[in-house]
Amino acid sequence: MKKDEYLYLDHAASTPMREVAFEVYKYTESVAFANSAGGHALSRKAKNILEESRDSIANHFGAAPKEITFTSGGTEADNWIIKMPFINNKNKNAELVTSQIEHEAVLGSAEWVESLGYKVHLTPCDKDGVIKADDVLKNVNKNTEIISIMLGNNETGVVQPIKEISQALKELDSEYIFHSDVVQAVANRKLDFHNIGIQSAAISGHKIGGPKGVGIMFLSSEVKLPSFLHGGKQELERRAGTVNVSGVASLSAALDEQQNSMIVQNQKILNERSEFEKKLWNSLDVMVVGDTVDRLDHISNIQFSEINSETLMVALDLKGLGVSRGSACASGAQKPSHVLQAMKVSNEKINSHLRFSFGWNTNVGDGIKAADIVLSVIKGMS
Amino acid sequence: MSGGVDSSVVAGLLKSQGHDVIGVTMKLWEGPNGEMPETGCCTASDSEDARKVAAKLDIPYYVLDYTESFSEKVVDNFIDMYAQGLTPNPCVECNRSVKFDHFLKQAKELNCDKVATGHYAKIIENENNFELHKADYLDKDQSYVLHMLSSSTLEHVMFPLGTISKPEVRQIAADLGLKTAFKKDSQDICFVGKKNYRNFVDKRIDISTSGDIVDRDGSTMGQHEGVHEFTVGQRKGIPGGQGEPKYVTKIDVRNKKVFVGDKKDLLTSSFYLEDVSFVNGIENENLTIQTRYNSEDLPCEIKMITKNTLEVSLLEPTYGVAPGQFGVIYNGTNLIGGGRITSKLNETLPV
Repeated sequence: MKKDEYLYLDHAASTPMREVAFEVYKYTESVAFANSAGGHALSRKAKNILEESRDSIANHFGAAPKEITFTSGGTEADNWIIKMPFINNKNKNAELVTSQIEHEAVLGSAEWVESLGYKVHLTPCDKDGVIKADDVLKNVNKNTEIISIMLGNNETGVVQPIKEISQALKELDSEYIFHSDVVQAVANRKLDFHNIGIQSAAISGHKIGGPKGVGIMFLSSEVKLPSFLHGGKQELERRAGTVNVSGVASLSAALDEQQNSMIVQNQKILNERSEFEKKLWNSLDVMVVGDTVDRLDHISNIQFSEINSETLMVALDLKGLGVSRGSACASGAQKPSHVLQAMKVSNEKINSHLRFSFGWNTNVGDGIKAADIVLSVIKGMS
Repeated sequence: MSGGVDSSVVAGLLKSQGHDVIGVTMKLWEGPNGEMPETGCCTASDSEDARKVAAKLDIPYYVLDYTESFSEKVVDNFIDMYAQGLTPNPCVECNRSVKFDHFLKQAKELNCDKVATGHYAKIIENENNFELHKADYLDKDQSYVLHMLSSSTLEHVMFPLGTISKPEVRQIAADLGLKTAFKKDSQDICFVGKKNYRNFVDKRIDISTSGDIVDRDGSTMGQHEGVHEFTVGQRKGIPGGQGEPKYVTKIDVRNKKVFVGDKKDLLTSSFYLEDVSFVNGIENENLTIQTRYNSEDLPCEIKMITKNTLEVSLLEPTYGVAPGQFGVIYNGTNLIGGGRITSKLNETLPV
């Protein structure tokens, strides 16, 4: 099979860079390669591109420019926001409230917080993968430093009741940071952070057609957090390290295109996903995770009856369809998903799930094409 | 593809012969957080070597997870066997229950015609069946650990190194530009690594099995910390010092007794094999047996006693037949079958 015949349905893991993002990256790196913190003409040029990008990005999310800090990615933003409130915290009873279905960046940070001796609440979800607001709220008390609940789950696409939680939190008379990992949700939702009621958010560049290695941390101006990386006083003195101006400019360009074309784009993605799911549904014994609840348009997590998804994933790859299963580890062997475990999917069925995720360059007809590959591969396996 | 030179060359040879090749590293064992181990074989760096070889050969490559079946069928069995005072052979269990069972099934699901491995052994295809033979390069012959394969399984298997010597394998790897060409062979038990396997076993079983060390007259010579510390034929760790060296001759797990005796007490001329299998059915002429991996071929006669049990009579008695190891029967280079050596044999020994 030729490379260009390969059907890529793993956009939730990483989506290709948009043409405009490539162009802006190349342009910025060639005309504004200087360190944006320097004192000469070329630095000023870089600094200007950086701040224009910040303004534009802030505008897309209803935030003030000073509430936007550029990081190396979503993982750094999650680590920063979750760990920092617990560094030198005088309250030994400080607590973290998060959920069982968070991305590893959040769960790994939570584990670190727990290792320092602080209490961590991992809120469960229901069988559809939805976290109940009440289950989050019942663990919030005067010792709660931070509440971290993702907006859209990366494995199932299931959307969590963030606004309901934020509204209920407002009623409480206590200080806390309400953080949300919105890495997946940004792919097809317009988000106004203040309106949703979160104080911080993590975003990754390469999930929206920008480059890898650049991300966004939104932190409401009401909240102060110590620095995570120390050194030169970059990024409004919050984060050390020469700013990846070309990456930021490229991300900003990708975000502009993505936000401006979202309605058309979402419709196309949703159509392809529906065709895909409908075709599988009509021909096989499958279950679509979260199909009765609010779900991001681009993710389809399918449970195949009595089929080992590891074998199926390999067979699909060999036939030119790239998808994923659980979270990847360094070696490439993949483990059963913690999200499906939290949803109490039985042991026999947990190894029968695959995630298909659509993206901005998915073509009309890809949904049917993918379903046809799945059907022929499964037919060949039995 | 373990990441070693043998399986690298197998992939290279098959690819150059025009086969449609898929590389797979079997993840058999993992650390507490699901990571690849850092010592032993199947380490993260081994799988990285395998990945590089596959990339160099431009073949699809996957790391597939067999940790559950490996842990259940191989590691648990390894620990059980020691707890019973037996000497396990985890490579045989792995071939039987994981590589040529679970993995083979998965390969069939992927519509693969054959599974090829870097084992040194030979498959000969006849009109009606497949025979398993020793490798031409006898120094590395691994047919012993493959004895459980039946003709119908061999139909789906290839051992491309059966006619090649190890130096030739390294040369082929170098010619193909594979980075594993001069990588050292792994000799460790893959899930134990360079650590003492007894520490590994100690951590996993109740070691409150201390008991007596008893000599051939039945008198107590000392105490031991657990029967799993011993295997038949072992010299190390036996009290007594001066004079004739003493060896473990028998382990009585139920009474937690370790019996010791002189070297001659280890002489065995007949014993039983259980869970016996044959590649193509039993044969009775010109037979020899290996009682350990790559050990001497001892002339023998065999007789089926029950459906799965075989009595082996050696023409000359030998030392060091250890219960738990496998007895593998050959006619010349042709592997006839084999089974696990039972502990029954020692009941005939004087104690």
